[in-house]
Amino acid sequence: MTRILDPTLSDAAAPAATPRAPRPLALRGLTVGLLANGKSNGMALLDGIAERLRERHGIGEVVRAAKTNASAPVSEEEVERLAKRCAVVVTAIGD
Amino acid sequence: MTRAGIDVGDPWEAIEACYARGWTDGLPVIPPTEPLVDRMLAGGPWSPGEVLLHEPVRDRAVTAEKAAINAVMAGCRPEYFPVVGAALQAIGDPAFMLHGPATSTGGSALMVIVNGPIVGRLDLNAGANLFGPGTRANATIGRTLRLVLLNCLDCRPGVLDKSTQGWPGKYSLCFAEDEAASPWEPLSVSRGVAAGRSAVTVYAAESGHNVLSHGTGDPERLLTCFADAMAGLGSLSPGRSVVVFAPEHAQHLRRAGWSRARVQQWLYAHAWRSLGDLKRAGKVEPAFYTNPELVAWIYRDAPGGQPEPAPGLEDAERVTPHDESVRVHRGLGPDDIVVAVGGGAAGGHSAFFPSWSRGRSVPFVTKEVPA
Repeated sequence: MTRILDPTLSDAAAPAATPRAPRPLALRGLTVGLLANGKSNGMALLDGIAERLRERHGIGEVVRAAKTNASAPVSEEEVERLAKRCAVVVTAIGD
Repeated sequence: MTRAGIDVGDPWEAIEACYARGWTDGLPVIPPTEPLVDRMLAGGPWSPGEVLLHEPVRDRAVTAEKAAINAVMAGCRPEYFPVVGAALQAIGDPAFMLHGPATSTGGSALMVIVNGPIVGRLDLNAGANLFGPGTRANATIGRTLRLVLLNCLDCRPGVLDKSTQGWPGKYSLCFAEDEAASPWEPLSVSRGVAAGRSAVTVYAAESGHNVLSHGTGDPERLLTCFADAMAGLGSLSPGRSVVVFAPEHAQHLRRAGWSRARVQQWLYAHAWRSLGDLKRAGKVEPAFYTNPELVAWIYRDAPGGQPEPAPGLEDAERVTPHDESVRVHRGLGPDDIVVAVGGGAAGGHSAFFPSWSRGRSVPFVTKEVPA
């Protein structure tokens, strides 16, 4: 028998899981962030979602952000800004 | 320590086992036995556990050992491994933002342009049919990148690799610059690598466009064909370009005394369409007008600059007389155009490769190949 080696990462250590932030139990009155990835209809999709969240859960203020480059990770500054102002953030791609 | 793998009886069983596990690009692979993988690793300066590529979006780290396994499978010889490693480091540079070109519907290939003394040592092809089949180093170095994407980053077609169509360059797209036929310094030197050193330059490429011209030696007439291809509405974007001049075309530019920078400047200046053309072809999406980078691109060269008040979503399709005088260039400047030389001695056939993405794409990244 001959051994051939596994070319995948199946035997590698699993990526360290980032702990999830605590979830609010209700959305009423909370500030919700909308982060579009920068494609054409991302914000349209998010606006629709915000509308539903307002109707069904009575969310408060909405903060919008859009990446200017869909391929680039969201900047640390933007993450900081959203984290400071928002209780939850919804992100979407819409092409 | 036993390394992860499977035990097989003979080479045919091994090849079929690789297919059965989805470890191939559709072509058969060389079974990566332990001795072959160890020889591959010995061809480069990296220890087995050294990370050559870290993909941050999905937090995947590709070690030299995993790269070597995939290089064996692709058919590389051990002496190719320094080029493979440098290319992986290049596509893993955070600036390259690999997750986009690796997974997008755009379906780009990872182009690797090699310069320096290693080209001769590995018999990398810079001549006839340099983008086509026939040369082991070109075929297998480029193929290794694809196998690493498939096997280590899970870029399976239709799953994480969502290419709408893809193109054959995704199997492999590695070639050398023909430095002897070039009127200019090696591309790597223009990009900051010391002369006499070997280097790779990587690029997220859409399928190439043949630029044929046999009827002129005049640089401006010749370059008109290139600028026209680059300004095609199908691929016009604020992104990058690679232009590979056939030696015959390069010779015309050499005779005329045109520098690489002058060629880049001329191509940038002439590869444009009017904003009216873009709008009539539906190339201005309403969302473009909500993106400051895209607004800046569209009006970069506009008489009077950006319009006041700023255009709204409804302006994306409304063609105004002013739009006919707004030149929208391919890219944001001459540096967005990489100019290289390669191909057979005969024939007026050059190539233009548009960048992946309707936006800025990802930058060119150049890395030195370790000696």
